[in-house]
Amino acid sequence: MKQDYFSANNIKFIDYKDVEILKRFLGPTGRILSHKRTGVTAKNQRALTSAIKHARFLGLLPFVVK
Amino acid sequence: MQDTEVEKKNNMLEGTDSRVYELGYLLVPSISEENLPVNYGNIKELISSFGGEVISDEMPKMLTLAYPMQKVISNIRHKFKTAYFGWTKFMMSTEKVLELKKNLDLDSNFVRSLILKTVKENTIATKKFMRGESYKRPTVKRSTENETAVVINKEEIDKEIDAMVAV
Repeated sequence: MKQDYFSANNIKFIDYKDVEILKRFLGPTGRILSHKRTGVTAKNQRALTSAIKHARFLGLLPFVVK
Repeated sequence: MQDTEVEKKNNMLEGTDSRVYELGYLLVPSISEENLPVNYGNIKELISSFGGEVISDEMPKMLTLAYPMQKVISNIRHKFKTAYFGWTKFMMSTEKVLELKKNLDLDSNFVRSLILKTVKENTIATKKFMRGESYKRPTVKRSTENETAVVINKEEIDKEIDAMVAV
């Protein structure tokens, strides 16, 4: 993913309920991928991390995959 | 005249104070499916009782949680592996939201709840992929339209051919 996924798909607001999209940005152990690997702009990366953390809080995404 | 002006000012103030929020929540799985709409209605009522204006929402759905959660309800620790997840988008004044949050924290039906600032527009992007079904429908309609158009064309072509043959 070299280009910004969110601007490419015209996603203006990153929602914590979009689990299928957020899962793309998680590593095999459930960690958030770095912006280096995601290719997402700095602004969107910040929004992405908070969305993932909100999803984790509500049990939609795991904190750790064992 | 003065009264109307004051009202206008109040409306303006309300407009600036109110904001779009989203409440995401997990309901206790011990609620039966029959009682789920009742709980769902109660949440909506609770929001409207705090002067909130519901914009959009989704019915709570049973979900297996990504990790087990614990909550102490009346001094008994409960462990949840499943829960009903639902969300509601609403407009509410900034001060009332804090009161709503306090109210939700005391509610024993909630495993967890989360209030976020959002935008009025639909934010779920995965529905774009879901729309694939609805996208098929217009194409089907178009195909029927094309067929009728083709039929008309055939007749016209036949007529034209007849005319050509006659010549």
